[in-house]
Amino acid sequence: MRIRTASVSTAAALALLVTGCASEDPADTAAPAPQASGGGGGSGEDCVIEEPVPVGAALSLTGAAASYGQSQQKGLEVALDDLAEKEGVTYELAIEDDATDPKQGIAVFEQFISREPVSIILGPTLSNAAKTTDPIAQEEGVPVLGISNTAAGITEIGDYIFRNSLPETAVIPQTIAKAKESLGLEKVVVMYSNDDAFTESGFTAFEAALEEEGLETVETLTFSKADTDFRALLTEAKAAQPDALVVSGLIEAAIPLVTQARELGIEVPIIGGNGFNSPQLMADAGAAAEGVIVGAAWNSASESEENAAFLEAFEAKHDGKPDQFAAQAYTGMMLVDAAVRAGCSAERDAIQASLGSLQDIPTPLGTFSFDNREPQHPAVVQIVEGGTFTVLD
Amino acid sequence: MLGDYTATLTLIALTAIFAYSFYAVLMAGQLSLGQAGLASLAGFSATVVMPDSPVVGLSPLVVGIPVGMLVGACVAFLLGLPVMRLRGVFLAIATLGFAEMVRIVLINAEWTGGAQGTSVPKLVTPGIAWGCLLLVAYWFWRLGGSRFGRGLAAIREDELAARAMGVHISRYRMAAFVTSGAIAGMYGVLLAYFSRFITPDDFGFAAAVDGLVTAVVGGSLLFLGPLLGSGFLTSVPEIQRALGVEAGWIRPFLSGLLLLVVILFLPGGLSSLIPRWRTPRLDPSIPAPELPALPPPGTSVLSLKGLGKAYGGLHAVRSVDLELGSGEILGLIGPNGAGKTTLVNLISGLSVPTSGTGTVLGIPLGPEGQGHRFARAGVSRTFQHSKLFDRLTVLENALVGAHVVTRPTLLRRLLWLPSARRDEQRALAQAGAQLARVGLADRAGVNAGALSYGDRRRLEIARALAAHPTLLILDEPAAGMNHVEAQELSTLIRTLAEDGITVLLIEHNVRMVLETCTRIVVLNFGGVIAAGDPATIAKDPVVIEAYLGSDGPADSRV
Repeated sequence: MRIRTASVSTAAALALLVTGCASEDPADTAAPAPQASGGGGGSGEDCVIEEPVPVGAALSLTGAAASYGQSQQKGLEVALDDLAEKEGVTYELAIEDDATDPKQGIAVFEQFISREPVSIILGPTLSNAAKTTDPIAQEEGVPVLGISNTAAGITEIGDYIFRNSLPETAVIPQTIAKAKESLGLEKVVVMYSNDDAFTESGFTAFEAALEEEGLETVETLTFSKADTDFRALLTEAKAAQPDALVVSGLIEAAIPLVTQARELGIEVPIIGGNGFNSPQLMADAGAAAEGVIVGAAWNSASESEENAAFLEAFEAKHDGKPDQFAAQAYTGMMLVDAAVRAGCSAERDAIQASLGSLQDIPTPLGTFSFDNREPQHPAVVQIVEGGTFTVLD
Repeated sequence: MLGDYTATLTLIALTAIFAYSFYAVLMAGQLSLGQAGLASLAGFSATVVMPDSPVVGLSPLVVGIPVGMLVGACVAFLLGLPVMRLRGVFLAIATLGFAEMVRIVLINAEWTGGAQGTSVPKLVTPGIAWGCLLLVAYWFWRLGGSRFGRGLAAIREDELAARAMGVHISRYRMAAFVTSGAIAGMYGVLLAYFSRFITPDDFGFAAAVDGLVTAVVGGSLLFLGPLLGSGFLTSVPEIQRALGVEAGWIRPFLSGLLLLVVILFLPGGLSSLIPRWRTPRLDPSIPAPELPALPPPGTSVLSLKGLGKAYGGLHAVRSVDLELGSGEILGLIGPNGAGKTTLVNLISGLSVPTSGTGTVLGIPLGPEGQGHRFARAGVSRTFQHSKLFDRLTVLENALVGAHVVTRPTLLRRLLWLPSARRDEQRALAQAGAQLARVGLADRAGVNAGALSYGDRRRLEIARALAAHPTLLILDEPAAGMNHVEAQELSTLIRTLAEDGITVLLIEHNVRMVLETCTRIVVLNFGGVIAAGDPATIAKDPVVIEAYLGSDGPADSRV
């Protein structure tokens, strides 16, 4: 699917010729090569680029991760609307579905790299797809901005690979530190599903953070991401009499786990990884979700100007509240805009250079900087109270 | 143009290779879902053994792919030892369990990187992927016309009949399973070194189902099937993307709809669209091969002493003594349920006696699963309810019959050795001669399933004759035939006996038995109640009482 903020006009085609970029076939301008769309005049807010800047987004719109991908799509659409109001630069965003299949992700990246070239690729939705697709972009010198990849080893793929999604290794230490300080924890039971890349790396981060904070792990229990009955494990956990449960699991496991824990009379706080960071938890687990603590990259209740504007625009367009995936996708598009304007160029290399040096950009996620292509912004530690996430003090 | 689609082209090749690993067992009628686990094991093994630098100037894959195939084949063999006795959905469940076991083990292992997986360099180019695919496709192309390939097809169509024709069922099924493992191993290595990243989760249940669907959509009757299936299923999302079809629910819906249309209207898969342009032709100039002479008249062919078969408390056959000499036509008659077919199954090795002893052509009646040994020794049979290989042609049915008198040709066919072609021609001549003998030569290219009832019975006889049998067992060959056809059959049987074939004829048509046979044995309630030449039997009051059940004329049809 294709969303155009501006169609290619004859004037634009003329401008292309004027800027001295030879194109053998004028009709070819329908899909301008980013190398050809070249630089514009001015910089920053004054930057003017005649050609729409082509941006590709590889999202999982169908398949297992469809709910995340669809949120991301909505976030990007809101960002496009906002950017259309700014002068000078327009964007042509192509959103493609990888069907939650890394193999199709490869085909989508191939399309964005050579068949319908874009200046920068956003995505893919899942980290395991990123490990397969990002090296292709790296080899071809196409910048990639991950907007939801949280696993370890993503930006290590190469100097064209960025992400704006705080990895678990950044969120979890803050979560544990805050929870310890606020609740006075001493010993915990850790539970995680060990057959999923995401939750396993979450566990590793928890383990390191717990050790850092000097908390005692009295028991470590593993389950499978397909499990739905945790009563036996929870009984074992309860017998250890911990001050809190620490759980790294996906939302599918989080809901039954939390519900069954409360049924068994485990009243201590449950500290979750990023998998717990979903409004679905309160919707499906109801009162059992009370007291769940989860770190997040985005504070939905933040009253910053950017966040308020984002919430308003999103609710106006999509008739519902955004989640973190939408906020990160929105921010990703805004960062691309900042990078394009900073260098005032749609060239892939120029974007790569500008993106890496972005500092202190106000976004819905907070004040954002890149450090070695990794995101730098505060995380927020939330606790479920009265059926909603509130900031843990 | 094609250069812009390298990933898609490579994926078509890889998906096709994986589908071939399913095709390898489907062509033998087995449903296995363990290939994903084998691919996973092979892929991870390759990450351990692959050198970092080129080997004598070639990609390190020259080490990785053979190792992966070896791992796949060896593990498939070990897995096959316990599970090969299972059939149908039970085999599918057992192999699926194995794949899940592999996934769990690899996730919990240190050397695989657990759920995080292992990153590897990209080494697989479209050329390598298509090269591997062509090798695999070539294997199955040459397999198709070989004795091994026909044996597998026969097992798929009717396992019992295949065994009666001398196909070593357990060995063939295992060979198909191991082949499947080797190809799955190749896929595992290629996929890892194409996508640069391998995790145990890439090889879960969904992957197995994808492979199976690809193979079934392509069709399991022609070697091109998996390639067609892969081309279709891999390009559907690409085409939808190129056409700008809205993502979201429409794409999976359209993909599902296309799948449904293919399965509904092409139950044989996409490959059934390809006409079978080359049925082997019968060349009348090639004479039927010289086969070893049959034993001289009077040699003992069959000797039973006190043979019995009990199913729980039911004695289907009790204490039967029987001698049969070469060149005889022995008629076996008796009312329904007298134990005739049970006795024949015992003699042809398809079931095992519970008491007594017997030898057939020097082979003692013995342990289970040895039916092919009797076929090799020279016992050939037809079935009361015809068991033809319905989706094979008439000629191919007869060729399977010639299994025990031909030599394996697969390896020589792969190398295009002329001797393989000569052997195939001889087999064709042998099969063709038998078709001519029963009057089916002009129907050689027709699928057996399309034959009329009478022709089916004739084909059964031709197939049995193709094995150059010493002892031919005909289980009610005239059932459903009219008087004239029965006459012709009777003449044919006497001709066979003149050629030195010993015939054991089970038949309800008493007149035909009396006219055809040199000796008759009458069974009732599992035991022999009378034996002797036709004239004696026709007058025997015990027979008339027990079998004919009335004092009516002995030559009436019952």
